[in-house]
Amino acid sequence: MAVSSSDDRGAREQILANVRSAVKKIAPRKQVAVARPIFSAIEEDLVARFRTEAAANYIEVMLTENTNETADTLRKIVESLPAGEVFMQDTSELRAMAATATGERVVQWSSDSGPPEASQAAVSRCEALVAMTGSIMVSSGNCGGRGASVVAPCHIVIASSDQLLPDLESAMARAREIAFDNSFVGLITGCSRTSDIEKLLVIGAHGPRQVVVILQASS
Amino acid sequence: MSDAVQQFHDRAQAKVDDVSHRKKIRWAIDTYEKAVLRGRARFADWEAARQRCYEIRWEAINHLDRYLEQFEENVSKRGGKVFWAADAEQACTYVAKLAEARGVKSIVKSKSMVCEEIHLNSVLESKGFKVWETDLGEYIVQLRKEPPYHIVTPAMHLSRADIAELFRKEIPEDVKGETHEELVAAARRALRRAFFSAEMGISGANFLVAETGMIALSTNEGNGRLCTSIPRIHVVVTGIEKIIARTQDLAVLWPVLAAAGTGQNLTAYSTLIGGPRSNREIDGPEEFHVVLLDNGRSKLLADTEQRDLLQCIRCGACLNACPVYRNIGGHAYATTYQGPIGSALTPNLRGLAEFQHLSYASSLCGNCSSVCPVKIDIAEHLLQNRRNAVNQGQRPRAEEIGMRLWRWTMMDERRFAIIGTMAKIVVRTFGALATYPLKPWSRKRELPEMPKASFRQMWRKHGRQQQR
Repeated sequence: MAVSSSDDRGAREQILANVRSAVKKIAPRKQVAVARPIFSAIEEDLVARFRTEAAANYIEVMLTENTNETADTLRKIVESLPAGEVFMQDTSELRAMAATATGERVVQWSSDSGPPEASQAAVSRCEALVAMTGSIMVSSGNCGGRGASVVAPCHIVIASSDQLLPDLESAMARAREIAFDNSFVGLITGCSRTSDIEKLLVIGAHGPRQVVVILQASS
Repeated sequence: MSDAVQQFHDRAQAKVDDVSHRKKIRWAIDTYEKAVLRGRARFADWEAARQRCYEIRWEAINHLDRYLEQFEENVSKRGGKVFWAADAEQACTYVAKLAEARGVKSIVKSKSMVCEEIHLNSVLESKGFKVWETDLGEYIVQLRKEPPYHIVTPAMHLSRADIAELFRKEIPEDVKGETHEELVAAARRALRRAFFSAEMGISGANFLVAETGMIALSTNEGNGRLCTSIPRIHVVVTGIEKIIARTQDLAVLWPVLAAAGTGQNLTAYSTLIGGPRSNREIDGPEEFHVVLLDNGRSKLLADTEQRDLLQCIRCGACLNACPVYRNIGGHAYATTYQGPIGSALTPNLRGLAEFQHLSYASSLCGNCSSVCPVKIDIAEHLLQNRRNAVNQGQRPRAEEIGMRLWRWTMMDERRFAIIGTMAKIVVRTFGALATYPLKPWSRKRELPEMPKASFRQMWRKHGRQQQR
C-alpha cells in the first residue's frame, strides 16, 4: 500500500524544484519607514486585565486565596452541574481537591482514558493565562490531553496568578518552548461559539458553553 | 461573449434582482463591519499591524523552499507524514487511498477552503465514505448541496427561517425549536454522533509553522478541535503557501486574522497541532498526515509581480468590503475563492482563458486593497490580469480594434475633432441605435441629449476671451 511507505512523498521533488527556481528572484518589498508599537503596553495589574478581558470573552473568573478556597469553589461549581460524571486531569493536587469537591459523582481520571463523551465537566490545569486577551493556554501534555478542554459542556481551569503572562508576545514565546514536548498547544479565548446563522452570536456550539477559571493567588 | 462570461453575467443579474438576497447580505455585512471597527480599535496601531503581517508573509513566501523543507523535517520528527500533491487529483487520491487502507467508514471535516478547491468531498463520497462537514455554516451548505457562499461565513446567504426549514427536513429528530440557539443545538446533537464515530478527521490549516512542524488552526465552534482530537487519523489538507517561519509570528497574525475575519480579539480556539499523540499523551490521533497542495501555486510564485497574492491569509475582509460582492453575492463567481481575492487569484491559478472575466468584475474602487490585513494591492492585481489578457491576445477581436481606433483618435487633436463631429452626426441621426455596440452599458442607461455646441466650439467662443 503506497500511503504507508515512508519514501512516497508524492510530487515532492517536482514541487520543490519549481518553488526553488521561482524564488531565485526575490519580489520587491514594500518598505515603511517607522516601526510603531502594534499593541498598547499593559499598564494595569495583570489579574485585573485578565478578568476584564476574560469577562468580555464569556469566561468566568473566580479569585481564591488558598487551596481550601479553590477546592470549595470547585465543589460549588460541580454541584451546580447536571447529574453525570466529571473528567479530571490526574495530578496529586487535583486528586486532593476531588476528595471534597466532587461528592458522589463518578470521576474519570486522565491517567485512565481520554474524556468520555458524556462527561458533564472537565477539570484541568493550564500552561499559562494571557492578560492582554483573556486567554487560557493549554497543552496536550500538561492539561489533561487534547480533548479535555473541548468535549465536555463545562471546562473548569485551576490556575495560579503566577501563571499570568502579559501579552501574546510572551505567550507565543512560551508556546515555542513547549512546542516540541506536546502534539497540541492551544489558546482558549472564550466559550465555544458561532455566528454562522444571521451573524448572531450563540454561545455553546460544539465545545463548552461554560468556561470557568479558578484563579488562586500565588503564595 | 463566451459561455463562461455569459453564465457569470446571468448569475450576477439574477442575484442583483433578488431583493431578499440583498437584504440578507446587507444585514450580515453591516453586522460584520461594526464588529471589525471595534476589533481594529483594540490595536494601538492597525497600520503597523498590517505592515508587520505583510512582512511576515513576505518573508515566508519569498523563501518558501527553505521553510517548506524545514516544516517537512519537523513534521517527520514528530512522527507525522508529509505528502506533496502537484494537483487536485493527487491530493484526493492520497486521502481516499489512506482512508481505504485504514478501514475508514466515516470522516469528520473542519472547514477547509483547500478541500473545496480540490472537491475532496465528492471524491470521498463517490468512493463510499460518509463525510460530515462540522463547521455549522459548512454543514448547512453541505445539507443544501451547495458550495460555500463566503470563505469565512459559508451560509451568509441564508436566514434563520431558511435554516430552520432545512433542518426540519434533514435532521427532524434533532430539531427542538427554531430560535438561533435551538438550531445551533440541533446541529450540535447531529454532529456529536459524527465526531465520536468517525475514524478520520480532516482539517485545513491557517498557517504552517516551519520551525516546529505544527499547523495553526483557528476555530470558534470547537469543531476543529474535535476533528483533530477524537478520530484516530488526522489529515491536514493545505496549500504550500500557508507557511510562516516562526511561532512568534502568530503573536501578530492571530489577532489580525481574528480582527479582519470577524472583529474578535482572538478566535475562541487558536490552536497549534503537530504530529500524532506521543507515548506520554492520553488521547489524540494515532496518525498525522499533511497533504501539501501546489495546484498552480508554484507557477504563480514564479511571477514576482503577482507573487504577493500568495501572502493572502483568507480572512474574507476583501469580500465584505467589495461593492460587487455585496450585489452579486458569493455564488455568482462560481469559484472556490470569491470576491476580490478570488477574482485576482483564480485567473492566475486556473488560467486567464477561462477566468479573466472575473478581473473585470470590479469597479477598481480599491476598498479591497485598503482593508487587506497583509497589504495585498488586490485592485492592482486585477489590472495586471486585464493587461496580461490583452498582451496574450485573449480579448475579443472587436475590443482590440475598438481600442486601437480609440487610441488613434485620441493621439491627434484634429483627428479627435473630426471624429467627434462625425460621431455627433451619427448619434443625432440614429439615436439610441448608435449605441448598440455598447449594449451592456447602454441597456439600462439613456443617452443624454446632444448639446448644440461642442466643448471645442464653446471654448473658442468664451474661454479665450476670459483668458485675456
